[in-house]
Amino acid sequence: MSWMHTLFALILLPAIIVGLFRILRGPTAADRMVTAQLFGTCGVAILLLLSTGMGNPVLLDIALVFALLAALTTMTFIRRTWHGSGKKKHGYSIP
Amino acid sequence: MVPVKKNMDILYHSGTLLILLGLPFFLSGTVGLIRFPDIYTRLHALTKADNVGLGFVVSGLALQSGSWAVTAKLLLIWLLVLIASSASCHLIARSAMQKNIQPWTRQ
Amino acid sequence: MINFNRRFFLRILFFSSVWFILTGVDTTSWMVGVPAVLIASGLSLTLAPPSQYRISLVGVCCFMPFFLRQSFHGGIDVMRRALSSRQLLDPGLVSYTTFLPEGSARIFFANTISLLPGTLSAELHGNSVTIHTLDRGLPIWANIQGLEYHVAALMRISPVKRKNL
Repeated sequence: MSWMHTLFALILLPAIIVGLFRILRGPTAADRMVTAQLFGTCGVAILLLLSTGMGNPVLLDIALVFALLAALTTMTFIRRTWHGSGKKKHGYSIP
Repeated sequence: MVPVKKNMDILYHSGTLLILLGLPFFLSGTVGLIRFPDIYTRLHALTKADNVGLGFVVSGLALQSGSWAVTAKLLLIWLLVLIASSASCHLIARSAMQKNIQPWTRQ
Repeated sequence: MINFNRRFFLRILFFSSVWFILTGVDTTSWMVGVPAVLIASGLSLTLAPPSQYRISLVGVCCFMPFFLRQSFHGGIDVMRRALSSRQLLDPGLVSYTTFLPEGSARIFFANTISLLPGTLSAELHGNSVTIHTLDRGLPIWANIQGLEYHVAALMRISPVKRKNL
């Protein structure tokens, strides 16, 4: 429908692809998780642009689900994977 | 009907302008994610830049859509991303602090 | 009890508008929508009981422009630091004691800090917020105090309490 919006979406694609480099490098699991957050926001933007570009309003709903899942992923990661079990002693404090 | 069409054109083009303004924020968010030295500064880059970028893209698309239903849905998506990313940003930073990951400082 | 009914009505109104935004003008969708909205309102009242603070409309009107302006500055600030050829970072940690009461006001405050220029809330411990900043030269205190007053106005909390702390 509109080539312009598709072009905008294509411009955003490198932002995600370059972000993959951070997953490769790490160093901590959290750094990799930040990239997942990038996928959330950038992915939503790409879907919104494509929704207008392809004239397909269903993509708006997919963007909505994407936004919801990005938040859930981070929270699950923090609670289950990275943080381990239970409450830990208060760590680093201001010198 | 000519004035109406002209009006629509102005809305459409200002929407395009807003989207164009938003794109550099996304790109610089990624650049920050790659260039910044530690997890905390990377969180800064991503949360702030991407949310502003998404704000511009959403408002641009809302101007172009010309429909209240789509505008409301776009705003809902933006609000959701805003809440989600600020909350997960805080969660990641807090966990990093509790895991004793030292913030990078300038020597 | 009247107060409780009012809260319930407000939540129903809120979830109905969300449903309306999600499904559009399709009237048959309300066959699922009405039960969903009722269940969601009941659940939300159980899980997040109404607090004593009510959101003020004037506060929202003051908060929105402040928030949009500040987060725009935050985006510009990050963009400048990310794209500059020189290293412009001077990160550090600051501790801030807030007068905002425990609960939604404080959590909202901590979450919004992350969208202000150069600040990120790293820890919330009682009434003290640990803030990570991108540049110790930024006017962090002024920004955060501004935000604190705006949040207080939003939730109709009197900022005079600061003197007691």
